[in-house]
Amino acid sequence: MSERLIVPTGMSRRHFLGHMATTSMAIPAMQFAASLEANAQQLRKANKSMIVLWMGGGPSHMDTWDLKPDSEKNGGPFKPIATSAPGISISEHLPTVAKQMKHLSVIRSLNSKEGNHERGTYMMHTGYSPNPTVVHPAFGSVLSYEIGEKLENFDLPHCISINSGGEGAGFLGMAHSPFVVNNPNGKIANLEPPSDVNAMRMARRVEMLRLTESNFLPNHGQGAQDHQAVYAKTLRMMKSRYTKAFNLNDEPAALRDAYGRGTFGSGCLMARRLVEAGVTYVEVSLGGWDTHADAFNTLSTRLQPELDKGMGNLVADLAQRGLLDTTMIVWMGEFGRTPRINQNGGRDHWPRSWSVVMGGGGLKGGQAIGATDKDGVDIIDQPLGVMDLVATMSKGMGIDVATQYTTPRGRPIKVVDGGSPIPQLFG
Amino acid sequence: MKSRHRPRTCLTWALASCMLFLSSHRLLADDPRPVATNAKSTGAKLDYVDTMLRESWEETKIKPSRRSSDEEFLRRAYLDVLGRIPNIAESNAFLKESEKKKGKDREKEGDRRGKLIEYLLNDPDYAKNFATQWKVILLGRKMQQREVDPAALTSWLRRQFAENRPWNEFARDLITAKGSNKENGAVNYNLAHLADGAINLTSITTRVFLGQQIQCTQCHDHPSNDWKQADFWGINAFYKGLKREEFRKANAAGVEMADHYELRDEPTDKYSTFEKRDARLGIAFPRFLDGRKISQKKDVVRTDALGEMITESTNESFAQAFVNRTWGHFFGRGFVHPVDDFGTHNPASHPELLEKLGQDFQRSGYDIKALVRWIMNSEAYSLTSESNKQNEKDETLFSHMNLKPMTPEQLFDSLIVATAAHKTGGDDQARRRDQWLGQFVMAFANDEGEESLSFQGTIPQALMMMNGELMEKAVGGRSGSFLADLLERGRFQARGPIEAFVVNNLYLAALSRYPTSRELGTARGFLANNPDTIGVMEDMFWALLNSNEFVLNR
Repeated sequence: MSERLIVPTGMSRRHFLGHMATTSMAIPAMQFAASLEANAQQLRKANKSMIVLWMGGGPSHMDTWDLKPDSEKNGGPFKPIATSAPGISISEHLPTVAKQMKHLSVIRSLNSKEGNHERGTYMMHTGYSPNPTVVHPAFGSVLSYEIGEKLENFDLPHCISINSGGEGAGFLGMAHSPFVVNNPNGKIANLEPPSDVNAMRMARRVEMLRLTESNFLPNHGQGAQDHQAVYAKTLRMMKSRYTKAFNLNDEPAALRDAYGRGTFGSGCLMARRLVEAGVTYVEVSLGGWDTHADAFNTLSTRLQPELDKGMGNLVADLAQRGLLDTTMIVWMGEFGRTPRINQNGGRDHWPRSWSVVMGGGGLKGGQAIGATDKDGVDIIDQPLGVMDLVATMSKGMGIDVATQYTTPRGRPIKVVDGGSPIPQLFG
Repeated sequence: MKSRHRPRTCLTWALASCMLFLSSHRLLADDPRPVATNAKSTGAKLDYVDTMLRESWEETKIKPSRRSSDEEFLRRAYLDVLGRIPNIAESNAFLKESEKKKGKDREKEGDRRGKLIEYLLNDPDYAKNFATQWKVILLGRKMQQREVDPAALTSWLRRQFAENRPWNEFARDLITAKGSNKENGAVNYNLAHLADGAINLTSITTRVFLGQQIQCTQCHDHPSNDWKQADFWGINAFYKGLKREEFRKANAAGVEMADHYELRDEPTDKYSTFEKRDARLGIAFPRFLDGRKISQKKDVVRTDALGEMITESTNESFAQAFVNRTWGHFFGRGFVHPVDDFGTHNPASHPELLEKLGQDFQRSGYDIKALVRWIMNSEAYSLTSESNKQNEKDETLFSHMNLKPMTPEQLFDSLIVATAAHKTGGDDQARRRDQWLGQFVMAFANDEGEESLSFQGTIPQALMMMNGELMEKAVGGRSGSFLADLLERGRFQARGPIEAFVVNNLYLAALSRYPTSRELGTARGFLANNPDTIGVMEDMFWALLNSNEFVLNR
């Protein structure tokens, strides 16, 4: 069992101490870039990545992955279509994803207790229900913490959230909370100095900063050093060639069109570029799934086409580049939606029996795991809980499922509490 | 130095007691609670604070750090009391005074600092700053529920601090608050934590007012102290009568919208139910942590009873919880740390000192400003944050000042004071200010809304400080800006070389101190070697504002 005491500090390492001038200025640019290149390659070999496609609002499993065309009362208007995975049918509005289903597995028997947006979102990110005692870290932050320990000299954040703020790092500390990209079609906020501050002036600023801090550092302990370390890391990111991963203009127009140029499609493409650059966890959000009314119109004209292009092309693209084996994909939202169609032509919140999709990163694809009954109401095979998902993610990502942290207040918290990896997903 | 007597009348107290008597039955026939007007007149300094801390240093063979410089003390005191750094004029006023008296003895220095403390406690920003802090303690930073009006709570808190209301009355008003959340800002505290059967309200009330972490016992008995699951639900049952009601009103466009919320506490005979570890159902009627029960019939307003039990003068943990938290505010950590986790599992660093301070605070009539004076006039508060060889390992005994990272609100207000950034670039200053503050709180607020000794820095924060719009405006040298004005003034006013005038003022504005001779030399070198004076000034100011010395309260 790996057990760790969380010291509530911004940066746990002291390696950056006094290295600011070195990392940001002194090493000639070529040498600097080459050393980073080596690092990123090493990282790719050693560690996997994970992309979560987050469906904010709670997506209907009945209209995506677990259609019940034979259920008269609950079926809904969508037709199932065959996929590249024998025996698995999904919504007719997901044709691109259907071609990739051989890489993906549908879990059709997830059960949780949280039917409220905020609580469900917290639970699906952390594995736990919200609790006034402690703020649990989201899984992306756990990865950032674990990978960050091993790989300090990486240029980019380990945990990135596109199109939404994502869930926080809780007691692991803000250094591991997601780096947020508000709009993948826009510029990253504050990544570059104002236009009138050229490279020469920026270098002068950093030099002046170093001089100012050299007077303050001695005898001022960890706080002063932590501050310096965060600045060193930030300056390194600003200067890094890997920030190009945030710039989609290098991609061929045809590929951008294929992914879709909306924030979700662009987010998926950015996720691929970030994973290529060595980032460990990327979450891409597509909101609007809280379809209490007029659901089928919204689903067929907007949500599913956007999802289909982004997700379908992402999986294909990763596979083609040989990255799918090291990149786990998870499609999920905070809960499913009622099998019953309400009087407004929508479906309501439903955490009792619903679906998530997982694949890549060495997980076995092309399977349907678990099942609901003919009306999509009750689980009739292999009920699974949220902690089983977290256990699966942990095992798949190479995180010891017995990992336990001790919070700054002295409370032991397990990453996986009472769940086990889904056996069919591991070969 | 003499403390000012606060104008307090018997009348408020008598009235309050009387109303309590009418609205709920008295819990104790012979309540020994002191009447506020009888509070002992208290001096600004308590000698035993110094003595007892010194004893702990001697015992552990720790050598305390030297006393802080006046510059260090000035900045620390402004940040701790007013929530912002001093501006150039304020720094000059204090430091010039100190310059004149250099070489005089310790006592004079203490006097000077004592005067500064009084001055700050009388500044309107004292109440503003403490209200902001307490709003964060009571609501957190990210509260966005529709039924909560954080601004109303903040302004209510501000009035309490401005009037220096005794903590016991102030706290009881929060715990027992009822009525409209617009008219009585205190109501927002209970409203904010009411959801889910008041589970959060149960845990935050015991945590904030008593320093007791009973929330783990929501699900099980505490593994390392005496709290039992029934303790949590016994407190929870005090909230069974709370009812929230929404009041709607047509707005200017005739659309009906939620206008305000009212909280009532209806006498009830309900009990709390909970699931025990063995899956059996437990029930709990109101029961205070010391085991006392109240009537189970519909003849009690339960939150009133709870407010009484928490704040009564015999309850030592009530006074100590506040003393410890306030000490923690000024020193970066409490005697008990974290500040709200009292118990045998987490012993205090100086238990006797905490006990004595708690007693004196209670005897003073829970006089908050008196407590602040005792803390700020202590020897330990005047020590430098620089450690020495004999105390660099000490983290718990206050032998040197702890570095405290600025809160988002302190950082923002300090940037505005240093740079007047909001005044550049056109109209609508207030809107821009609010927008920036929102960005700051978003980027800098830590997840748990808890203060932390460690610097919880992130890349987005550093990016915002280095490249963000506020910083661009703050260090921009366009006409009308702080830097342009400074250069202009330098050309007319400087008695010596203009570079020295500029550099001195940049350091004063950002770090509330003059540059060392080495810093002055380096900075003058930059200015002399570059014809773009305003550009160099911008870069220099940028460096000062981005430095760890700026962002840390030492």
